[in-house]
Amino acid sequence: MFNLSSLVQKAQSFIDPTQALNISASDRNPAKSTLFRHQFRLPDSQTPLQEITAELTITPPVAYSPNATQGEKDKDRDRGYHYAGKLHLSESYLCFSTQPTSFLQTASTSTSSGFTGQTHGAGPGGNGFTLPLCAIRRVERLHSQSYQFALSITTWNGLSNHTNHESSKVPILQQKITIQLAGTRQACERFCDGLKKGLKSGVGEVGKLKRVVSECYSEYLLQGEGRKENRSKMRLWGEYLRDYGRNVTLIRQPTFHKLIRVGLPNRLRGEIWEQTSGSLFLRLESPTLYADTLAKFEGRDSLAIDEIEKDLNRSLPEYPGFQSEEGIGRLRRVLTAYSWINEEVGYCQAMNIVVAALLIYMSESQAFFLLSTLCDRLLPGYYSTTMYGTLLDQRVFESLVEKTMPILWDHLVKSDVQLSVVSLPWFLSLYINSMPLVFAFRVLDVFFLEGPKVLFQVGLAILRINGEELLDAPDDGAFISVLKSYFSKLDESAHPKSENAKLRAVTRFQELMVVAFKEFAGITQSSITEQRMKHKDNVLNSIESFAKRTSIRNLGPDSKRLSVDELGALYDRFYTVLYERQQRSQIILEETERRAKASRARATEVVNGLAENQIIEKGRVGLGPSPTLMDYDGFREFLAGIARWAITDSPSPPEKENAADRQNHSYFGNSVRRRETSLSPWGYGNPEPANHEFMQRLFQRWDVDMNSALTLQNVVTGLAHIKGKDNIMGSITYFFELYDDDGDGKVDREGILRISEALLFLSRRGLEGSLTPSSSMTGLSEYEAGNGGQLDPLQGSTNERFLSSVSAFIRRCFEYADPDHPQNQEDDASATNGHADSNAFGIGEDSDDEDEDLLDLGTEASPKKNKNFTGLGGGPPASGGPDSKSLGQRSASKAQSEAANAALDPSKPLHITLPTFRMVVLADELLEQFFESSFPASFRISDKMTTPGPSSSGSSLTTFSNIGFGRQNPPQNGIVSAGAAGGVVPPSKGLRGVLDNIVTDGMRVAAEVKRRMDEAQKEMEKNAVNKPDEDEDEDEAYDNPRTPGGERRSNVRSEDRDLLEGADAEAMSMRGQEGVVSEIKGNTLSPTAAIDAGRSRSVSGASQKIVEFEQ
Amino acid sequence: MAEATAPKPSSSVKLVLLGEAASSLVLRFVNNDFQENKEPTIGAAFLTQKCNLPTRTIKFEIWDTAGQERFASLAPMYYRNAQSALVVYDLTKPTSLIKAKHWVAELQRQASPGIVIALVGNKLDLTNETSGSSNAIGEDGDEAAEPEDDGDARKVSTAEAKTYAEEEGLLFFETSAKNGTNVTEVFTAIANAIPETSLKGARGPGATQSNANRAEDQSRVNLTGPRDNASKEGCAC
Ligand SMILES: Nc1nc2c(ncn2[C@@H]2O[C@H](COP(=O)(O)OP(=O)(O)OP(=O)(O)O)[C@@H](O)[C@H]2O)c(=O)[nH]1
Ligand SMILES: [Mg+2]
Repeated sequence: MFNLSSLVQKAQSFIDPTQALNISASDRNPAKSTLFRHQFRLPDSQTPLQEITAELTITPPVAYSPNATQGEKDKDRDRGYHYAGKLHLSESYLCFSTQPTSFLQTASTSTSSGFTGQTHGAGPGGNGFTLPLCAIRRVERLHSQSYQFALSITTWNGLSNHTNHESSKVPILQQKITIQLAGTRQACERFCDGLKKGLKSGVGEVGKLKRVVSECYSEYLLQGEGRKENRSKMRLWGEYLRDYGRNVTLIRQPTFHKLIRVGLPNRLRGEIWEQTSGSLFLRLESPTLYADTLAKFEGRDSLAIDEIEKDLNRSLPEYPGFQSEEGIGRLRRVLTAYSWINEEVGYCQAMNIVVAALLIYMSESQAFFLLSTLCDRLLPGYYSTTMYGTLLDQRVFESLVEKTMPILWDHLVKSDVQLSVVSLPWFLSLYINSMPLVFAFRVLDVFFLEGPKVLFQVGLAILRINGEELLDAPDDGAFISVLKSYFSKLDESAHPKSENAKLRAVTRFQELMVVAFKEFAGITQSSITEQRMKHKDNVLNSIESFAKRTSIRNLGPDSKRLSVDELGALYDRFYTVLYERQQRSQIILEETERRAKASRARATEVVNGLAENQIIEKGRVGLGPSPTLMDYDGFREFLAGIARWAITDSPSPPEKENAADRQNHSYFGNSVRRRETSLSPWGYGNPEPANHEFMQRLFQRWDVDMNSALTLQNVVTGLAHIKGKDNIMGSITYFFELYDDDGDGKVDREGILRISEALLFLSRRGLEGSLTPSSSMTGLSEYEAGNGGQLDPLQGSTNERFLSSVSAFIRRCFEYADPDHPQNQEDDASATNGHADSNAFGIGEDSDDEDEDLLDLGTEASPKKNKNFTGLGGGPPASGGPDSKSLGQRSASKAQSEAANAALDPSKPLHITLPTFRMVVLADELLEQFFESSFPASFRISDKMTTPGPSSSGSSLTTFSNIGFGRQNPPQNGIVSAGAAGGVVPPSKGLRGVLDNIVTDGMRVAAEVKRRMDEAQKEMEKNAVNKPDEDEDEDEAYDNPRTPGGERRSNVRSEDRDLLEGADAEAMSMRGQEGVVSEIKGNTLSPTAAIDAGRSRSVSGASQKIVEFEQ
Repeated sequence: MAEATAPKPSSSVKLVLLGEAASSLVLRFVNNDFQENKEPTIGAAFLTQKCNLPTRTIKFEIWDTAGQERFASLAPMYYRNAQSALVVYDLTKPTSLIKAKHWVAELQRQASPGIVIALVGNKLDLTNETSGSSNAIGEDGDEAAEPEDDGDARKVSTAEAKTYAEEEGLLFFETSAKNGTNVTEVFTAIANAIPETSLKGARGPGATQSNANRAEDQSRVNLTGPRDNASKEGCAC
């Protein structure tokens, strides 16, 4: 595993410059462009355009001599250093490294198929350079016998505008490198063409470059303007920078790596940090971003700013620079600016310490970009709101300790010592407040060049060096104090008693560095990545379970009405929906882009190397800020997961998507399967949610903050009010309020119709709770088994009964409604009288009788009923006779019928109040049960319904498509295509089937409402006019159940016919409910229609008819 | 109180500190020191301090945790196995008590059963109440402080916090780390509240030390910053 050293040159054998890691799913297979950027520490804007094997030759610079002969030039090339490696070209950079990359050259930018895992993107390791194209002054193609393609590159280095050629005492040294390309002629030509293009577009950037490097001390150091330090370290660096380039033009060679290990001179520290970490390239990309950000957000407030303010005085308090207002101001500005450009991270304690340390050696702008590089790449997830990166790396560190120092690890476990209490600050604040600053900076020097693995190596070395003493430490206290005293003696000799003076001179810190990088050379970016992948899930899970606990606890008093299990399940469901929706929209977005791209020219392919995989896991709670708001579509999906009425009956046909995908086979090859399955907006295998007005009302009701979005709190409160209401009155009130739009305690005619629609919508898959225990349970089990076969007769009857109940509900609502206008005072009075006469308390009893009747009728009728329906064709929509009968009984009072008559008159607006609504509901046992148990129970929070998780939802999709809600299934086994086990009305063929389809789209309600109105009016008309004889004709018509709809309708009054035709037509085409409902109100409720229709029927006749009809 | 004349039984008690303005409280308890610009706690800090009770010596192993909200998910690492907890809020910040309540709830559900929890409102010196200690723990100290009047920075009334503490069965104190009000009282009360039966890990008899050499023992383990070993009285009991 730790065999990297065999792969690279000896000079760098113990260097595995590493990269940051994103712990996304893509980590095992990172995109090539990501690896490329990490390898060369380039901004995200860069993608690998070209790469070619090449040999780099570096000659010590010579005084510029344009007249050098070809022979001299060749000789130059023979001198100097030669490195074999790969030359890469991106949009604005030319990069060379001897370090093998992790990606195959053949891999395309956005895919990871070519991931070799070697260095996992490494870092600016190996020997080579990362050269902005704008820093190249000239490229010459050399023609010589030995090299087909050799490029001589001259940089701006040495020709900067700081120097006047004539007057400068220092000889003008020109930086020149030679690169020989190795490849086919064609490949070399292609590379050179690309380079030419890049150079052209880089010309405009030269000014920017000069401005940026002017902040680098090296510019002044070499121009003799800076004070030269006499120390040998500075001299060595000065020579190196002179010979091999400085800042952007710096070429990494073995000496460079060594010099860094030895420690940077203070003056150069800042610029080498930004060069090796790559933050220099970020700054080059947008030199004014820091100042712009500060200007843009000046005067604005944020939580992060409050948090920053609290810590400003508490950053490196022992360092005098940060006790002054000036120093604190610098710190404030850098932290604040960063909190604005990365609001997800904002500010995390420890950033103050790190930035304070950076500011000792850097300008504010430099520190700002370096902080950005730290957060995004070097310390991924460390400072995030969940700090998952910190926790993960602690876990990784522990596992590395266990691996490399098993005895010590055993001791820690046995004595229950919490390692992270010491090691966590090492990582989080980069050793800055753990060891004396001078030494912490030395660690940082290497860290920025070699990457995060350095933190691990140093940490392991600390434990290794102190191993003996730590083994004697019995508890946390002793453990910590051993380390503390070690850190305080880092400057002392590591071998104070040695005879050997040289050995005696070795400090403990030097020893630490040697142990870290020699003994733990095997700790590479790859091995760390591997460990991170291994522990990632555990860490995220524990963060998420903590977040869940906290979040549930904070849900407020309403949540107490739900059980802890229910809250947990709600939490999961809520965030699963949000998370999955985000994933899906991401995938769909990518797919769209992919398609768009595929249809565009190939040439643009590179533009969006899009780090798609990096985003893929975003939204996971453990990773930090994730969506917390659920929009209406999310809410629908959420409901579909907990309530089966919220699943649509007419899912959009999947064929379309498949077809679309099939067309794209050629583009996407193997990936098609995945795409195909994920393209549905509701996710593969998830049931498509319904979109009923009731759901919109529920959403609005729950959206108490009027955000058009729900928080978990909203959802919990909303559900707590439905499920947590043990009393039926609460449920009824809740429902009523849903439809009392203006909150005036009244629901008008429209509202009554909508309520009844909602009741049918909610019950169309059967009722839950304990209605008729056997039936509802059967319905459920069939439903869950996806049993599209036979319909339980009992179930059918319950459903039919509910239908009747709803129709009775409408009728009663109108019967007992109050008129709206004062001029109807009289009517109002008489209605109230009617109320009193018929005895409000008696209604319950009435309905009891009625239900008994119903039950009898139901059991009698149902065995044959379905068969009848099957062959029925155009029979009247449903049975409702018993209600009519009881209505007849009850509506005998004249006063009452007058009141009801008035109620039906659309010219006289009416409404029901909550007491009326309550009374009407309680008048019907089924409705009562609905509100008491089945409505609250229809929200199944903790017991699985369709198990909406992606894992098991595949089967539920099958179930739904098999059930074929909203479609016409052919009859099975010659009986009835009952399909909708648990449905109110089984779909079957003929008009009945058509009607069922109507119902599924809300049309059934309209038809039902219409029919009820029709009946009610007839009843009343009958009472008023009382012409029993005409019943006989009607009976005949009804007696012929097989009469097709059209003929059947010939017996209906013309107004009604129009209506029915209208309804049918709409059912077939528009499927809109609004139109029909209003039509009903317009036509059916007109007084003439009521009178005409009413004349034709009698009470007894009506109920009898039904029985006959059902036989 | 009673000086340790004969070896008393000594036992370790793990105590976790959660909430805001917590480190200063420990620093006062352990080193009898106060620092205006105390560095934020990164992750957690570990300190020890002894507390002499008449019948025994309690050695507190104190885990001081970071106060920023995002560090909260690290807390379970530290309150694991804790026998006692000190939940500190800043009584000049109204949101602070709310956060403290969350911690109490978290501890009650997730920490070891029977954990002794003390709720402490710190920064009492910023209120303009005259005598520090009497009104903080007085049994009838239900006077609701008026945050409005003259320069009083108090934002959380004693009554509100105290009522809450009583409901939840918590010890309750208001302290000042700055001037030392009530600080040792908090720790003594916790020590007394730890049930005898749950005490274990006695470091052997005669482990009691004089105050002078105790201080050295205390501060050396604070990893997060060099502290001078102010040799002061640690625990007044
Ligand atoms: N006036 C006053 N200030 C206090 C008191 N206790 C703490 N402070 C101040 O409050 C600030 C925060 O105190 P800390 O004790 O470090 O708070 P903390 O909870 O440890 O902070 P973190 O480690 O960041 O979580 C410091 O500036 C202290 O000076 C007190 O009793 N009175
Ligand atoms: Mg602290």
